[in-house]
Amino acid sequence: MAVASETSAGMTLAHKVLGSPTLRLAGRRLLAAIPVLWGVTLLTFLVMNLLPGDTAQVLLGANATPAQVHQLEIRLHLNEPFWVRYGGWLAATLHGDLGTSLASGENVTTILGQRLPVTAELLIYALVGSVVLAVLLAVLAARRPNGIADRFSVVISMTGLSVAPYVLAVVLVYVFAVRLQWFPAIGYTSLTASPLENIRSLTLPAIAIGFPLFAVYTRLLRADIVEQMQREDYIVTARAKGVPQWHILIRHALPNSMFGLITLVALNLGVLIGAVAIIEPIFSLPGVGAILISSINNHDVPIVEGVVLVFAVVVVVAALAADLLYAVLDPRIRYERSAS
Amino acid sequence: MSAPLPDLLPAPDAAIAAPVRKKAPGRASSLRIWLPLGFLVLLAAACFIWPQIYPVPKPVGGSILEAGLPPLSPGHILGTDPNGNDVLSRILYGGQVSLEVGFSVTVIGLVIGGSLGMAAGYWRGITDTSIMRVLDVLIAFPALVLALAIAEGLGPSELHVIWALAIFSIPAFGRIARSNTLAIREQDFMLAARLSGSRGRHIILRHVIPNIMPQLMTFALLGFGIVIILEGALSFLGLGIPLPEPSWGSMIAQGQQVLSATPEQALIPSAFLFATVVSLNVLGDALRERWGVR
Repeated sequence: MAVASETSAGMTLAHKVLGSPTLRLAGRRLLAAIPVLWGVTLLTFLVMNLLPGDTAQVLLGANATPAQVHQLEIRLHLNEPFWVRYGGWLAATLHGDLGTSLASGENVTTILGQRLPVTAELLIYALVGSVVLAVLLAVLAARRPNGIADRFSVVISMTGLSVAPYVLAVVLVYVFAVRLQWFPAIGYTSLTASPLENIRSLTLPAIAIGFPLFAVYTRLLRADIVEQMQREDYIVTARAKGVPQWHILIRHALPNSMFGLITLVALNLGVLIGAVAIIEPIFSLPGVGAILISSINNHDVPIVEGVVLVFAVVVVVAALAADLLYAVLDPRIRYERSAS
Repeated sequence: MSAPLPDLLPAPDAAIAAPVRKKAPGRASSLRIWLPLGFLVLLAAACFIWPQIYPVPKPVGGSILEAGLPPLSPGHILGTDPNGNDVLSRILYGGQVSLEVGFSVTVIGLVIGGSLGMAAGYWRGITDTSIMRVLDVLIAFPALVLALAIAEGLGPSELHVIWALAIFSIPAFGRIARSNTLAIREQDFMLAARLSGSRGRHIILRHVIPNIMPQLMTFALLGFGIVIILEGALSFLGLGIPLPEPSWGSMIAQGQQVLSATPEQALIPSAFLFATVVSLNVLGDALRERWGVR
C-alpha cells in the first residue's frame, strides 16, 4: 500500500490529497513497478555479461596487445566481479548517473538526451497517426459490417499484420524515395532547422513503424465497436430514442470501445523498442534504436542499460496513464479503496 | 498487482477476433482456408523437395562473372545477386531456413509453453504462481534486445536463432494455455472427470488438451508468421543465419544496399516473406472462425 492511513487528526488537506484514490493508485502502481524495473536492469546486465568475447578486446580490435587489453579492463573496471559492477551501476543510477559509454567515453545521459528526442518524435508521429487513422477506419467499417469499408478494413489490417517493418521500409524507400522522390531515403533534419524537412525526413520511418500498429488497432477497435453495436442495451435504447446512427457510433459505441485500444497502445510501447532498433538504422536516424544495435555489438553495457531502462520506464508510465484514462472515459470506474 | 507487461505477440484477446459469423461456412470461407494452405504446401514443397529432385544452382559460391544478372536470364530465372549467386536458389534455401525456424520455434513454444500453462492453470496455487512469475519476467524483457543479445552472444547460426526466439514463444503460449485451461477448469465435464477418480495427468491429456487445442493451434499459426518475421529481422541485422548462407532477411538487407539500381534484389525476398506470413495469418484467421474460437 502506497500510503499508510494517517491516524492523527488535524491534517485534513494532506489527508485528502494522500487519500485521493487516483493518487493512491498511481503510487501503488509505481511501487509495484520498482521490482519489474530492477529485474529488467539485472537481466540486461546478466545477458550482456554472459556474452562471450572480451569487451575490452572488442573495443580495442583484434590487433591489441594483451597489455593494452588488461589496461583498458582496469580503466573500465571490467576486471571486477559481476556483482560489484552491477552494484556500482545500480548505485550510480539511483543517483541519476547512468555512467559513461565504454566505447566513446561519453556520458550516457548526454547521449540519451541527444538521441531520445529523435526517437520520441518518430514514435509520437507513428502512434498518433496510427491511432487516428485506426479510429477513422474502424468507425467507417463498423457502420456497416461486411460493407465495402469493412471489407477494405479487413484486407488492409491483414496486410499490416503480415508485413515486417523492414520489408515495409524497403518498399517505401523504393517507391517514395527512389522512384517518386517525394521523401528523402535517409537522414534526419531537426525540428528547429526546418519543420517541413523534419516531417519529411520522419514520414517514411513513421509509416514503417506505424502501419503494422494501425492494422492491429483497426482490427481490435472494429471488432469492439461491432460487438458493442450488436449486444449492448444502451445502443438499443439510443436507437429506440431515434438517435442517428452516426451519433450512436461516435458518441456511444466508440468511447465504450476505446478501453481495449488504450490498453493495447500502452502495452505495445515496450515492443516498439524492437521496431525502432530496426527502422532507425535503415533510415540513418540518430535515435536510440540505432545506438542500441551498435552498442549490443560493442558490448557497451551502460548504453544498452540506459536505453532499456528508459523504455521500461515508458512502459510502466504508459500502463499507469492507460489506467487513469479509463476513469476519464468511464465515470463508473473509480479507484476506490475497495479496488485494492 | 503486477504491472502490465509488454508482449512480443499481439494480445490474443478475444476482442481481436472478428465476431462469429452465423451463416454456415460458404465458398468464400473455404477459399480462405484452401488458398493459403495451398500456397504454404507449394512453398514448402518447392523449398524442401524441388532442390532434391530438380537441380538448381548452388545458393552460395556463385561466380563473380555472373554477378547481377537481371531476372529471366538463361539459367537464372530470378537473376543473380551481386555475388553471382542464383536468386531463385537462395530464395528456396532461404525459405527452408525460415520454415524450419518458424516451425521449430512454434513447436517448442507449443509443447513447453503449452505444458507449463496447462500445469499452471490446472493445479493453480504455488505451481501457478511460480511458473507465471518466471514467464512474466521473460515477457517483461524487451523481446528483440534479448534475442539480439542471445544471437550476438551465441554467434550467428540457425540453431541459436531458434533458441533465442523460443524464449519468447514459450511465455506467449504459456499464457494462452493457462487462460484457456482456467476457462474450462470449472466446467461440468471436468468436475465429472475429477469425481470419477481420474488423475490430474490423465485429465490433462484426455480433457484439457483436446479442449484448448483449437485456441493453441490458431495462435500457433499467427505465432509462426511472427517468428518468420523475427528470424528475418535477426538475419537482416546480420545476427541470424551467417552469410553467405541464404536467408530472406539477409537477402533483403543486401538488396537494400543496391535498391536504386536493382530493386528486385530486395523486392523478391520481400515478396516471398510477405506472401508466406500473409498466408499463415489468413489461414489462422479462417480456422479461428471455422472452429468458433473467440
